[in-house]
Amino acid sequence: MSGAPLLSIENLQVHFRTPDGVNRAVDGVSFAIGSGETLAIVGESGCGKSVTSMSILRLLPEPPARIAGAIKFEGKNLLDLPNSAMRKIRGNDISVIFQEPMTSLNPVLTVGRQIGETLRLHQGLSRRAAEERAVEMLTLVGIPEPRRRVREYPHQLSGGMRQRVMIAIALACSPKLLIADEPTTALDVTIQAQILDLMRDLKARVGAAIMLITHDLGVVAEVADRVVVMYAGRKVEEAPVRDLFRAPRHPYTRGLMGAVPKLGAVEHGGDERLAEIPGMVPSLKGRIEGCVFAGRCPDVTDLCRAYAPALEPKAPGHLAACHYAPKDALAA
Amino acid sequence: MLGYIGRRILATIPVMAVVGLFVFSLLYFAPGDPAAIIAGDQASPEDIIRIRATLGLDRPFLVRFGEWSWHILHGDLGTSIFTNLPVTTMIGQRVQPTVSLMLVTLVFAIAVAVPLGVVAAWKAGSLIDRLVMGLAVTGFSVPVFVVGYILAYVFALQLGWLPVQGYTPIEQGLWPWLSHLILPAVTLGLVYIALIARVTRATMLDVLSQDYVRTARAKGLAQGPVLFVHALKNAAVPIVTVIGIGIALLIGGAVVTETVFAIPGLGRLTVDAILRRDYPIIQGIVLLFSFVYVLVNLAIDLFYTLLDPRIRY
Amino acid sequence: MTATVAPFPDRVPQAGAPPGGLPKAPPPPGLAVAAPLPDVIPVRKHRGKVWTYVRRNPTIVVGGVMLLIVFLMALLAPWLGTVDPTALAPAKRTRMPSAQYWFGTDMLGRDVYSRVVYGARVSLLVGFAVAFLASVAGLAVGLVSGMVRWLDGVVMRVVDGMMSIPPILLAIALMALTRGSVQNVIIAITIAEIPRVARLVRGVVLSLREQPYVEAAVTTGTRMPAIIWRHILPNTLAPMTVQATYICASAMITEAILSFIGAGVPPSTPSWGNIMAEGRALWQVKFYIILFPAIFLSMTVLAVNLVGDGLRDALDPRMAKDV
Repeated sequence: MSGAPLLSIENLQVHFRTPDGVNRAVDGVSFAIGSGETLAIVGESGCGKSVTSMSILRLLPEPPARIAGAIKFEGKNLLDLPNSAMRKIRGNDISVIFQEPMTSLNPVLTVGRQIGETLRLHQGLSRRAAEERAVEMLTLVGIPEPRRRVREYPHQLSGGMRQRVMIAIALACSPKLLIADEPTTALDVTIQAQILDLMRDLKARVGAAIMLITHDLGVVAEVADRVVVMYAGRKVEEAPVRDLFRAPRHPYTRGLMGAVPKLGAVEHGGDERLAEIPGMVPSLKGRIEGCVFAGRCPDVTDLCRAYAPALEPKAPGHLAACHYAPKDALAA
Repeated sequence: MLGYIGRRILATIPVMAVVGLFVFSLLYFAPGDPAAIIAGDQASPEDIIRIRATLGLDRPFLVRFGEWSWHILHGDLGTSIFTNLPVTTMIGQRVQPTVSLMLVTLVFAIAVAVPLGVVAAWKAGSLIDRLVMGLAVTGFSVPVFVVGYILAYVFALQLGWLPVQGYTPIEQGLWPWLSHLILPAVTLGLVYIALIARVTRATMLDVLSQDYVRTARAKGLAQGPVLFVHALKNAAVPIVTVIGIGIALLIGGAVVTETVFAIPGLGRLTVDAILRRDYPIIQGIVLLFSFVYVLVNLAIDLFYTLLDPRIRY
Repeated sequence: MTATVAPFPDRVPQAGAPPGGLPKAPPPPGLAVAAPLPDVIPVRKHRGKVWTYVRRNPTIVVGGVMLLIVFLMALLAPWLGTVDPTALAPAKRTRMPSAQYWFGTDMLGRDVYSRVVYGARVSLLVGFAVAFLASVAGLAVGLVSGMVRWLDGVVMRVVDGMMSIPPILLAIALMALTRGSVQNVIIAITIAEIPRVARLVRGVVLSLREQPYVEAAVTTGTRMPAIIWRHILPNTLAPMTVQATYICASAMITEAILSFIGAGVPPSTPSWGNIMAEGRALWQVKFYIILFPAIFLSMTVLAVNLVGDGLRDALDPRMAKDV
């Protein structure tokens, strides 16, 4: 990473007003993504990964959500942009692939129309030209018989094909940043591998940076350059992918890795699910005193319960928020 | 597809048979003996029995029902007791005002209610939403004739913008025709608007929480296309369904609206027939309206395939 | 802290006071402690229980209070400064509203205020009687249809047929058969409303019959009445109560419509529909004869509808957002 990052998130807080209190879904998260980089964000469900990605595109309804902090894309704070300017970024400079290919496509519009719509909107293509491009995009994402498929409806396609269509929509305008929110979770294992290959392949061609949100460490090991680990709305660890797998510093990260196959060993198709960590994610209603992981940490002390650890460099490029994480001499 | 249409059409036969049975029973159980009326005051009991026999009134219920149905199927709805004219003729004379009123109301109500419901769902919980929902509850609560009189009093009597009452056939010009229908259509449309707006809002709320709406927003689409193309198309089936079911409200309301605005339509005919106890007319109107209602909802059922590509029969 | 999105003043993060009562000891030296995070949304104060209930269920409270007022009015009619609502006084015809005749007098010199107050009795009686009778009869038909398979087809065809006759038209047709009386009006409207309740109950019964615990009860030989009493009725009650309030509201309107077109309660009985029917001929000059009963009728129906909406939200939280 050199120069200004493509996207930098600074002290992001996303809180929701609910009938029984304020839900602090994301609380003080910062990270950056460089051009062409692949950053993975991992954590259990409900840890704030998806909320973070939704707030980048400002897709959360406000209210009940309130967002504070800064989300800088190419130097501009997206949170300050008027809606019209934000719409020009969505689907054009930054696009998203959602988790559920079954429900993320509009059931009453043809596939071609849904791909072409983005092109007509952002590149001003005519209806005819947009359909031609849609056929090209379908070919690119490896859908056979694209001329027939553009006129079909989503329910006529399989899950894997629908996710390919989603990727085609996302990449239609050659975005600078692609947010992939659990892109393979809902798919069969064999299809998962195909979709990951496709994403890597297309990334190389289009040159987009990818923000990959997943709870699947196997996927992380496959494609990510750098990893951010989130827990209970906070970033608890951040490191280059090799460092993280070689020497995880935060007990939560170690817990996640408990039953995961070693780096590069995904092909055997085993169960890459996260290890069970005893206990539950704490309620995010209201503030949490002390370390957020204290309730489930095997090595918890009174110090952890009283004082929230600061996020500190523990090794070059390696941050962790734990009072007891080993710290390399070089780090400070 | 063709098989489905056939089955749906066949399924309306028992429904219409029940309606027919009900309507026939109306005359059968109606107070007053037609034979005694025809025979006059001086007739002996034997005369009445003779007349009953010639009229076929002494035969069993089912035989008479069968004969009556046979006539109906051949377009014979009987003769008005009051005017002695065929019921079909009398209905025919009154059809145009009622059809005009219903069509104008239908267009007006849909044009108002659907956007209101969409906006209310989009701004759920906001002031606009509360206003629309308040309007809907009011629409359900204020009886049609109350709305009619208040509108007529304010806009026709006090302000003089529109004619107070009456009907002008469309042959005499579009504006005279329409101007007489504006107040009645608003009156009649209010309940219908309330119904459609509520269902539109509820369905849209559900649709707007769907993943594909999020996808549409993530593409950079503006609010308008998201709401009216991506979301509304998915909400179409329940909305169209309630538009069909709500026609029953329009039919019932037309009776009252025509009375308030002195429109010489089928509703007015109904009220007159009740006051004169003209049963054949009441029968004919109930039968006709029910038939139209069943047909409209049948058509809507078949229309679903065009609205949602996932529906296949 | 960087700039925030919108121009709300409370949007700017403020340093929140640390929660919890006890002052904390300073951390040991050398320990890196995270800075406290600000509150993005200001913490709201809690209000009293009653106020919270009113805030969360405004419709049921407002509707309930309005309905109570109408109830009291109907009950206490003789003591509310009324005169005999049927007393004719041809000399005092069509008087404008005044201190003596609050709502004026009608064509026959009757006091409109007294007629309106007494008219509440007819509307409430018709509304609640129809709601009760249609619910009971609809429940019976729906239960039979839902539980007895071989009858289901026949009963549902009849219900479909009755439902394809617009309800007001059905009530009008029935009223054409009989003399106008409060009792006949109640019967006619009830018959028109039964099919809707029957459909609702049958739907609940059919979905419940698929439930494992009901199937288990059937296979273990529990007798039908016991199954209905223990499993079906409790689950039918909530949707039926909501439906009954809506029927009550629509019955009041139908009664007024029937009376208005001359097919309802006899003209001598003071009912809101009747008062308006009498004002019909004079509406262009004596609008108040129609206006006052119209306001009372609309407010009462509105009250019932608000209670219905509130009940629906309270009994089925899943539906609270919808319709």
